Amino acid sequence: MTTERGSQLDRPESPAEHRLARSAAVILGLGVASIGLALGGTVASTAARGIVPYRRLVEGLLSTPTAVILFVGLGLGAVAIAWGFASYRLMPTKRSRERAVAGAVLGIQAVVVGLIILAFRSFGNPELFIKLFFNAGVLEGHLGAFVRGAVNTIVLAFTGEVGGIIVGLFLAMLAMSKRAVVRAPARVYINFFRGTPLIWQLSVFYFGFAIGLGIRPAVDVGPIQLSAPYTIAVIVFILNTGAYAAEVFRAGIQSIERGQLEAARSLGMSYPQAMRYAVIPQAVRRVIPPLMNEFVILIKDTSLVLILGLAVGELELYTTAREGYSDTFNASFFTAAAIGYLAITLPSIWAVNRLERRLRSGLVGVGA
Amino acid sequence: MSEALARLEGVHKWFGDLHVLKGIDLEVRPQEVLVVIGPSGSGKSTLLRTMNLLEEPTEGRVWFRDIELTDVRTNLNEVRAHMGIVFQAYNLFPHKTALQNITLALEKVLGVNGEQAREGAMQELDHVGLAEKADAYPGQLSGGQQQRVAIARALAMRPNVMLFDEVTSALDPELIQEVLDVMKTLASEGMTMVVVTHEMGFAREVGSRVLFMDLGTILEEGEPRETFESPQHPRLRQFLNRVL
Repeated sequence: MTTERGSQLDRPESPAEHRLARSAAVILGLGVASIGLALGGTVASTAARGIVPYRRLVEGLLSTPTAVILFVGLGLGAVAIAWGFASYRLMPTKRSRERAVAGAVLGIQAVVVGLIILAFRSFGNPELFIKLFFNAGVLEGHLGAFVRGAVNTIVLAFTGEVGGIIVGLFLAMLAMSKRAVVRAPARVYINFFRGTPLIWQLSVFYFGFAIGLGIRPAVDVGPIQLSAPYTIAVIVFILNTGAYAAEVFRAGIQSIERGQLEAARSLGMSYPQAMRYAVIPQAVRRVIPPLMNEFVILIKDTSLVLILGLAVGELELYTTAREGYSDTFNASFFTAAAIGYLAITLPSIWAVNRLERRLRSGLVGVGA
Repeated sequence: MSEALARLEGVHKWFGDLHVLKGIDLEVRPQEVLVVIGPSGSGKSTLLRTMNLLEEPTEGRVWFRDIELTDVRTNLNEVRAHMGIVFQAYNLFPHKTALQNITLALEKVLGVNGEQAREGAMQELDHVGLAEKADAYPGQLSGGQQQRVAIARALAMRPNVMLFDEVTSALDPELIQEVLDVMKTLASEGMTMVVVTHEMGFAREVGSRVLFMDLGTILEEGEPRETFESPQHPRLRQFLNRVL
C-alpha cells in the first residue's frame, strides 16, 4: 500500500460502501447549499438592488427571487437533515460519517435561519426595521466622523493600556514586597480601582475634580492638544488599567518557579537584578495574552467617555454614533459603530489567540 | 577564628510547626568533600540551603569564613557570589543560552566585561565537556547536560565552596554518571564541596567525610569507608540496609 498513514481506514471497500461514501458527499453538498442559499443567498438577493436608499433593501427582501432562494434553501436543508440523520450511522468510513453529520447540521442551521427570515419577511415589519437599523442613507456624510471616532477609540485605549502597563508593573513590584508597609498602599490602590466602576472613576475625576475643584489638566504640547475631559479620560483609563495590569503582572511573576529566583540570588544577584534579568523576562511572555485581553476590554470601555463633555473632534466611536442618533433618531448609527468596534476588536482577538497558541507551542520560548 | 570555610552553630529551623533542623553544629574544612546522606525529610537539603542562607535559620548562626551570614548587616549578595550552589531541578534560565546562563552573573555581579565573561564561560563549559553546546537553550539539552551547565555556571564565579543539593535525583539513570564524573573531577582538583546525595557509591568513593542525618539531627559522622562498613548508629544501619 502506498497510501498515507491513517487513510487506510478512510478507504471504502465494497461497491455498496462506495455508493454510501458518495451519498455522504452529496449530503454535505446539500447542507452547504442550503445554508448558502438561506443566509448568503437571501442577503445577496436583498442587497442586489443596492442599499441606498433603504427602500431598495426592503424591495430586495420582499422580491420574488428572494422568496424563491429562501424556499429552495429551506427545502434543501430539510432534505439534508432527513437524509443525513437517516444514513450517518451506516457510513463505512469516518470521513463519510462526518460528512453526513456535517451536512445534516448545516441543514438545521439553514432551516432555523430560513424560517426566522421568512417569519420576519411575512409577519414582521421589514420596512421599519431596515429603515431604523440598516439605513445607509442617513449615514451619508458621517464617514469622516466615524473614522475620527475609530481613531479616538484606538488612541484612548492604546494610551490607557500602555500607561496602565507602566503603572501596573510598578504597582506589582510594590504589591509583592515582603514588607507589609510597602505592600499596603499598593493593595489599597489596586483594590480601590478594581472595586469601583470605571464610570464612577470617570465621574469623580471629571465632575468632582475638573468641574468641582477646577483641576483641569488639558494638554497643549506642540501638535498634541487635548481638552481637559479628554485628558481626564486618558488619566482615568491609565489609573484603572494600572490596577488590573498590576494583578496580571503579579500573577505572571509569581507563576515563575521559585527556583529561578533562588538560582539568580545564589549567584550573588540582588533582588532587583534577579527580577530584571531572570524572572521578569520569563514572566513577560506569560502576561502578554491576559494584557491583550485587557486591551480588548478597554477598547469597549472607552465608550464610557459619553458622560464627559467631549468636543466634536474628540468623540470616539460610541459618542459619534450617539450624536448621529440624537440628530436623526435612527439606530443605523449604532450599527455603524458596531462595525467600527468589530473592525478594531476582531483583529486584536485574533492576534491574542494566535499568540496564545504560539506561546503554548513554545515557539516564543526560544530566543528573544 | 577557626580555619573552617563554612560553619553552622546551633542552627534550628522551623517551617511553621515543623521542626526541620534541631540544633546543627557543623564545620566545612577547606578542600574536603563533605557528603550528607539520610532519608527523605531528614533535613539535609534544608541544612545545605542554610549554608548560603537561601533558608534563614530560625535560631543559631551561620558563618562563611569569618563573615557571619546571620548578621543582618552582612551583604549576602557578596558572600553568595563566592559560594556555588547546584540544585536538583537545575534552575537554568530557560530564556538564555548555556553561555548566557554563565556570563549573566559574571557581568552583572562580578562586573567582568563581555569578552572576558565569554572566555571565562567557555572555559567552564569546556570543563564540564559542553563547549559545543554554548549556544543551545536549556530546553534543547538533556537533563544531564543541563545539570552540567548549572555546575559550570556556579564554577565560573570562582567559588570557595560548592554546594550540591541532590543534583542527580531528577536525572534518568543513564545520565547520572556524566554529572557524577564532573563532580569527581572537581573533587580531585581540590574544590571544597558539600554534597547532599542518595548516591552511596559516590559518597564512599569521593567523600572525605560523611554525615548521616535523620529527623533534623546529625546522628553519625565519619570517614566514608569506615562509616559504610561499620555503622555505629542503629538508624544508619537500618538506612544503609535499605539503600545498599
